[in-house]
Amino acid sequence: MMLANYIGAIALIVIGFYAMISKRDIIKIVVGMGIVDYGLNLMIVSIGFNEGGTAPIFTFGELVSGMYFVDPVPQALTLTSIVIGACVTAMALALCVRIYKEYGTLDTHEIRRLHG
Amino acid sequence: MSYNVYNVYMHFPVLAIMTLFVGAFCVTLAGKHEKVRNVIAGCAVLISFTLLALLVKPVMIDGNIITYWMGNWEPVEGYAIGIAIEVDALSLFFGLLITIAVACSCFYSYQYMKQDDARGSYFTLYLMLSGGVLGIVLSGDLFNIYVMLEVMTFAAVGLTAFRTWNPNAREAAFKYLVVGSIGSTCALLGTALVYAQCHTLNLAQISAILPGNLNPTTILAFALLFAGFGCKSFMFPFHPIAADAHGAAPSSVSVLISGVFTKTGVYGIIRVCYFLFRSMGLTSVQTMLVFIGCLSMFVCVTMALNQHDFKRLLAFHSISQIGYILTSLGLCTALGIAGGLYHAINHTLFKGLLFLTAGSVLYATGTTYLEKLGGLARKMPQTTALFLIGAFSISGIPPFNGFYSKWIIYQATFEKAAGGSIGYALVTVVCVVTSVLTLASFIKVGHSVFFGQANPELGNVKDPPLGMRVPMWILATLCVLTGLFPDLMLRYIIGPATAAVLNSVGYIDAAMGAGYAEAHLADPSLLAAPQLISIGAWQPASWLVLFVIVLLAVFLCSLLSRGNSARGLESDAKHAVFFGGERAEYSHISGGDLFWGFKHNLRGYLGFMSRVHTGVTNDYVLWGVTATAVIIAYCFVTM
Repeated sequence: MMLANYIGAIALIVIGFYAMISKRDIIKIVVGMGIVDYGLNLMIVSIGFNEGGTAPIFTFGELVSGMYFVDPVPQALTLTSIVIGACVTAMALALCVRIYKEYGTLDTHEIRRLHG
Repeated sequence: MSYNVYNVYMHFPVLAIMTLFVGAFCVTLAGKHEKVRNVIAGCAVLISFTLLALLVKPVMIDGNIITYWMGNWEPVEGYAIGIAIEVDALSLFFGLLITIAVACSCFYSYQYMKQDDARGSYFTLYLMLSGGVLGIVLSGDLFNIYVMLEVMTFAAVGLTAFRTWNPNAREAAFKYLVVGSIGSTCALLGTALVYAQCHTLNLAQISAILPGNLNPTTILAFALLFAGFGCKSFMFPFHPIAADAHGAAPSSVSVLISGVFTKTGVYGIIRVCYFLFRSMGLTSVQTMLVFIGCLSMFVCVTMALNQHDFKRLLAFHSISQIGYILTSLGLCTALGIAGGLYHAINHTLFKGLLFLTAGSVLYATGTTYLEKLGGLARKMPQTTALFLIGAFSISGIPPFNGFYSKWIIYQATFEKAAGGSIGYALVTVVCVVTSVLTLASFIKVGHSVFFGQANPELGNVKDPPLGMRVPMWILATLCVLTGLFPDLMLRYIIGPATAAVLNSVGYIDAAMGAGYAEAHLADPSLLAAPQLISIGAWQPASWLVLFVIVLLAVFLCSLLSRGNSARGLESDAKHAVFFGGERAEYSHISGGDLFWGFKHNLRGYLGFMSRVHTGVTNDYVLWGVTATAVIIAYCFVTM
């Protein structure tokens, strides 16, 4: 079952990178960055999964030895990663707005004053 | 580790990081009061520097390793659950050079940023960037390093896009964000895979569990972490974004991006290769790092020869020098590590100085375009002197600091070649050639900016105000001092840091409790005692005397020839052919003309390099992804 998740995560990352490499529209590049992020989040949260485990929400009193639950650390990492991903997207889109105002286009082949 | 003795010192690292972040918050509270903002920022960077400087004695000289568990969540039954801040000599070394550069650049920007209209949020971003960088080098937790990496990248992107009147700033920031996100993605994926193998994120515990356990997952994790930190150090295929970002950002920020930001990548590579995976002993990893270092070194220095913008040129040189550091660290000998670390601190100092002089030129003239400048030496004598110190340092002219670190690097590569791997002799050659090309390129800059014929449009420029000159003189003094006293540097700063790089057992034991490394490390043969030897003799003082004598001789000759009005050539003889003999109004011999023969012979290569740096975001992403894929494939094939 987890294998499907891993394959899906890698597929998402590859699709995202493909979009970043081949799409000339900078908005689509930002979308590509978002897709890479989703793949990454899926990967991390899958790493912490234990087959048949319960949700890791307990008080200290309830904790006894031999309980079986999924690993909470990757979930915390995923939350952080989601927040960071949202910030990256917001910042990139803000830059896109400014670039469109200055260059009048969203085509990467025309946004290349800095080259050589 | 005796917690009682270092009770006070234990809290210093976390306070140093917190001061910067709290400072960033307070700057925002200060709102429109510019003086208050400046004072808060100045205090924050100074406190942070002082706190780290106080750690020099316990960490560098006494050789202790400070471990601080956030919220006192200490390891339970050999498992580190809490977040650690762990400071050994290596972390402190990077922390110190970061805080020095941050402080100098901060005081410089008081005056320098007066040109900007929207400077309210400048110090917020600035302090966030500094705090993020410091957090990376002091942290003992892999995921924390990733979070700090993102904080740092955000602040850096924001600062790159900061100049509203610079038309290229947004473009540079966007490219930086997109290509930088490849590095962040790789670093996070690597972190997740390491967690999947070790079930911990603590650097010390990973360093105990992971070495010697190579399976496909760990190899993939290693390759991804390597590529991720490599992207942050702007190594070879990631270098174009660095050039764009440096050129567009304000100079005070370029200092941080060049001197400080790249060092986190170098630091990350050291931690990954020497600590987490201990894979540096493998010949394949050494070859990879040295190869990438040489490529960065050579490609970027030739790109620099092509440039017409002062800051963009400096940016390419910056990556070229990072290539030296990576090459030297890739040798995996004590001498190589010492050379790499020495060059790291020198790089921060002279690159910071050069970017600040470029900033002064921009401040005074309003342009950094080489063809528009000229003859500034008469009008900006102090800036010229500072530039020359920086240029001599980066080109490795004795007795300045660049010479000594490059000397060690040549020795280390040659020693490796003498030890049987003949290919490393070629590395030495590449290092020397790069150094020569660096000098050539700085002669070009010096000629077209500070010497040569004065541009009549730049009539009333003068040296920048005192507030900008003092930080530059501090950096220049440090450049000279680190060059003049290499023995002291090696004994008190570089030596302990080098020993720390090779002492991962101490690093593990300090965090996890004594004896942990011995119990968990799979292959004890990796634990070699560091041997720091230096071949050849180097007397900086006598070189300084020689340097002064030569300088006096040149000065005397130019004084003697001044009265002699008979000149072989007219002042604009070079251009006479084009003007039919009549006197040209202003004919500046530009930097491009200075090496035209050389560039003409290499036009195929230089033209090709110029064409492939297309400036299209997709191409740079393609390079980055390809490089990552190649690194992964290489690691799978050879490890």
